[in-house]
Amino acid sequence: MLDLCLLAVMDEGPAYGYEMTKRLRDRGLAMVGEGSIYPLLGRLERDGLVETYRAASNGGPPRKYYRPSSTGRLALALGVSEWRAARDAVDAVLAPVKVEVAS
Amino acid sequence: MSDFVELCRQEWKRLGVPDPLAEEMAADLASDLGEAEADGVSAEELLGSSAFDPRSFAASWAAERGIVPVPAGRGSAGRRPIVLVAFTAVAAIALIVAALLLLTGQPTVSVVASRTSRPTPPHVPSPPSALLGPPGSSRIVLHTSASTPVEWILLLLAVVALGFAAWLWSSLGRSRPPTAPA
Repeated sequence: MLDLCLLAVMDEGPAYGYEMTKRLRDRGLAMVGEGSIYPLLGRLERDGLVETYRAASNGGPPRKYYRPSSTGRLALALGVSEWRAARDAVDAVLAPVKVEVAS
Repeated sequence: MSDFVELCRQEWKRLGVPDPLAEEMAADLASDLGEAEADGVSAEELLGSSAFDPRSFAASWAAERGIVPVPAGRGSAGRRPIVLVAFTAVAAIALIVAALLLLTGQPTVSVVASRTSRPTPPHVPSPPSALLGPPGSSRIVLHTSASTPVEWILLLLAVVALGFAAWLWSSLGRSRPPTAPA
């Protein structure tokens, strides 16, 4: 799922590692638990789902920027479709549940 | 920060990661950690629990990039199958215990005393523990170890369990991380 989120944030515009974590955090996704985004970015790169290039950041050293490849965009579209289908199915199951919080 | 990057660099060198790739990853990591620190973001927030284990982090990153082979028995996040390790250990211990019991325990049938000139039949049927022959002429006391069948059952179970564990390990080794985002 984090793979999908990474593809989504870099689809907004090329980004380097820390920039992606900032975009995720801005949306309330403060990860990363056991791992980090770097191995995931490595896997996306190995699988040809992202393209990379080096460029100077804002006044800083050259950074490695990531953006989805054409295969990555296809994977993103499929992943989003699957996620929405799964989310809707779970919503349908949970919708009738009435949650009452005892005071 | 620099210590973390340096430890990663050492691990990449140990794993045989080519220098240009190791330097590239080290430079990116150092830049990100530096920027995060300037933003007041800790290394733990950026790297998660990997911040406390630079060697595993470096190995995982290199493996996921396909630069070095994925270590056997490790998932994409470097998790070890603790349950499988424990299962294998228990099976191995059971095997050792059963083998020791069989090697050091009493034999199934032992002649304790014999005072007779008559030829002894080569095989004496049950009962397991018997006093044969008239008193005074010949006394052959047969002992059977009641625990022996249990030891054999334990040995058999341990062998089966170890075989099952070996099959699970081989299956785990063959499994690869998914290639599509999930």
